[in-house]
Amino acid sequence: MILELMIALTIGAGLFAVGLYGALSQTNLVMIIMGVELILAAALVNLVAFWRYLHPDEPAGQMFVLIIMAVMAVEMAVGFAIAISRFRSRGSVEMEEARELKG
Amino acid sequence: MSVQVIFLVFFGAAAVWFGIVVFRTHSMVRSALALLFSQTAIGAMFLVMQAEFLGVLQIMMMATEMSVMAIFMVMFMMDPGGMGAMDMTHQKRLSLWAGGIGLVAAVLLVWLPDWGPIALAVPSAQQQAEDLGRELLGRSMFIFQSAALTILTAMVAATMVAIVPNAEQRK
Repeated sequence: MILELMIALTIGAGLFAVGLYGALSQTNLVMIIMGVELILAAALVNLVAFWRYLHPDEPAGQMFVLIIMAVMAVEMAVGFAIAISRFRSRGSVEMEEARELKG
Repeated sequence: MSVQVIFLVFFGAAAVWFGIVVFRTHSMVRSALALLFSQTAIGAMFLVMQAEFLGVLQIMMMATEMSVMAIFMVMFMMDPGGMGAMDMTHQKRLSLWAGGIGLVAAVLLVWLPDWGPIALAVPSAQQQAEDLGRELLGRSMFIFQSAALTILTAMVAATMVAIVPNAEQRK
């Protein structure tokens, strides 16, 4: 059973790496949101694996998964709202054209 | 090798592969669909790990979320079909290094520690749902309600940000 836990956590690590690459390398706001979604999906995989293989009798593990799913929904809603606002004012959601946001 | 390991590796490899496809294809619609397949494979992994409720929830929620994302892709992209093969990346080398270092660090953290005793049996699906319901409406009520309030606030904030009039409309 330890092998299953290792496999699930390694897949979580792979999803995190792909998501990090996407969030850093993409110039389009919607693609950056996709990268962040993959990073959060990696967290979901880890949480379910920890619950299943270490503490299956503890329902708080599943509760954390629901909280991360809520974070995913909030992140997408706010991200798309910013994208709509940006598209309405500038006609583009390309982050290369948003250098004025830099502090 | 058990059947669970085989299915876990299959769906896990599918999730990572479709995650890579998201950033490799030029078509934004294909990107959204690849992310949908990746999230569905993750939902299937949850089912393999006997978290039935979470698996079904993940698949249903992500199917809706990625459909919305595909619509936004078509709305906002200059080239949603990817016919022009535009390069929409920057700082590629830095991103590859960050992803690679993140992967190596996470894999080391996974494989080096001793994770302690592994649980063999899980409660039945019905028992899991009952336990989760009691957890959410009992000990974790405050956290659960905070999440609900956060979603409500985000919905109102997202609507307000999206409908704010632009410079031309203000005149």
